[in-house]
Amino acid sequence: MIEVQSLRKQFGGRLVLRDLSFTLPDGRITALLGANGAGKTTCLRIVTGLLRADAGCVRVGGIDVARDPLAARRLLGVVGDREGLYERLSVREYLALFAQMQGLRGAQLSQSLEAVRAELELEDLWERRTLGFSQGERMKVSLARALVHRPRHLILDEPTRGLDVLAARLLRRTLLRLRDSGTSIVFSSHVMSEVLELADRVLVMAAGRLVGDDEPRALMAGCGCDNLEDTFVALAYGRAVDAARGEAL
Amino acid sequence: MKLLRRWMPAPIGALLYKELLEAWRDRRALFTAITFALLFPAMITAVTVFMVKVKAENDSRVAVLGGGQVPLLIQQLSGGRLLVDQLDEGDPAQLLAGDYDLVLQVGEDFARDYSAFAMPRLYLYVDGASKDAGRARSQLLERLAPLQQQIVQQRAIARGVAPQLFSPWRIEVRDVSTPSERGQLILASVPALLIMTLFVASLATAVDASAGERERLSLESLLMQPLPAWQVVLAKTLAVASMGWLGGLLAVGALALLIPVMPLAELGIQQSSSLADLVTMGLLLLPLALMVAVVQLLLALGSRSFKDAQMRLSILQVAPLFVLMALDMSQVQLDKPAWQLVPLVGQQQWLKALLVGEAVSLPMLLAGSLVTLLMVGGFVAIGGRALRREALLAAA
Repeated sequence: MIEVQSLRKQFGGRLVLRDLSFTLPDGRITALLGANGAGKTTCLRIVTGLLRADAGCVRVGGIDVARDPLAARRLLGVVGDREGLYERLSVREYLALFAQMQGLRGAQLSQSLEAVRAELELEDLWERRTLGFSQGERMKVSLARALVHRPRHLILDEPTRGLDVLAARLLRRTLLRLRDSGTSIVFSSHVMSEVLELADRVLVMAAGRLVGDDEPRALMAGCGCDNLEDTFVALAYGRAVDAARGEAL
Repeated sequence: MKLLRRWMPAPIGALLYKELLEAWRDRRALFTAITFALLFPAMITAVTVFMVKVKAENDSRVAVLGGGQVPLLIQQLSGGRLLVDQLDEGDPAQLLAGDYDLVLQVGEDFARDYSAFAMPRLYLYVDGASKDAGRARSQLLERLAPLQQQIVQQRAIARGVAPQLFSPWRIEVRDVSTPSERGQLILASVPALLIMTLFVASLATAVDASAGERERLSLESLLMQPLPAWQVVLAKTLAVASMGWLGGLLAVGALALLIPVMPLAELGIQQSSSLADLVTMGLLLLPLALMVAVVQLLLALGSRSFKDAQMRLSILQVAPLFVLMALDMSQVQLDKPAWQLVPLVGQQQWLKALLVGEAVSLPMLLAGSLVTLLMVGGFVAIGGRALRREALLAAA
């Protein structure tokens, strides 16, 4: 489980996260939605220990990320919103590197590599250097990197951006399988159909705050909308405007 | 490299393996390192050959017409840098247009006038448009001056005048330099160039492993792994230093091969580096290669972009050359023990001594190298802190 409690973060005097709290239970897929600049990426970066919160606390599997970021990172698999691969390494070398940095060695390392190779259908790419890979191929390799050490928590920042149909299907299949095996998954996305298909729960952020937190259908019903896109617009933009008005007053 | 991965602890060993693979698979970086490392010893060889050629060109050819009347003068002129040919006849202009730099024509009545103390004439023909005319003329007058003075003195003595009256003092120039010291002077540029090789050879790898990785958006994935940031900097430092050290070793090797074929003896240079000296030179470059690497990484990480990093490191690579040359030309006594503890300066002094076969104090070499390694440790720690800066992610 990932617990986020009262997170606050500002950059150069601009408040990006305001008292943000939520929990991500095991065996569930949570979608984190928000307009650009709502604070999703900052929040996820604090969860991974890349950024430090000004106030508040994040626990990953019970470990305080601020106090022991290295231990927390062993429990996390992360696919960022903008990722580059090492273009002079083959896929096998790339994944072996990250598996070893996660502490895998010997037979355990070989088994993990074989497993991720089969799961994500990487046979054709395995010995190829990653220079010139398509967006779908790059995403598959990034996802494999995040999964190679079998993390209990998976964080994906806009994972389907730029993917073709087949790659997106493979990604969705993989996420559902991981959820069923008890992995806690959180992903950000702007594709509402994907959110509906995958997410057990939706968090909506606006101006650094949580403005919606429920199952997709319940969230739509709560807003009186018959689709998730309208619900998102109502929550992410409507309340932000209200909040801004309130602060102005 | 696989042995290295087995030997090092898992996370940093794996990362070092990756950094080395990336560095050594970058053909452009490898090409730059090898090219500069081999180019500058070749250039030093070319310069030495050129110097010998210039020295040979410094000899002047003189044609003497009517020299039969003045055997003593011919004897005085011959030798040194003047190559004297006695000709029975010839046109001065044609001779100057040929191989001669000067034509000295002895007047027809020279012997008679000389006996009568009537100041006989010597006609010196020069081609004023020739670049060598001035030098040849000076050489000839320089050779004639002692004979002229000797004759004046003999005439004065014959008339009862003390010869000392004609010379209020006498200056004698005595060159006390040894061939080895002259070698030091000519080979003084080599240590600075060897040090510069470290900077040039590792530049591309340093930029690629820092600003390049940030720009390719792969740095963030790396920083999300469970290993301390200083280990990331250390692995990158070792990989970058491997490229710089490769350049340094290649340059030392190339110098070892080329020095025997350089015409140093003709320049009066005694070069006597042993194999042990060459090995010591290679080893003492290692701590410096590490320091160069980590400084380059820090500068590149602090830059705004890949191009900015390239520009910063390009400036950095020539800076030590200027600093070392300025220190060399200054009145600072760099061979003092305290200076040998200063990175760059210490290495320069040791390289300089080893190149001409002089002894180097082993305790000072070890102490100086240790200081350099301690500074590397400090810079790695600073680099670890730099990687935790939020601004670094913002730049990505």
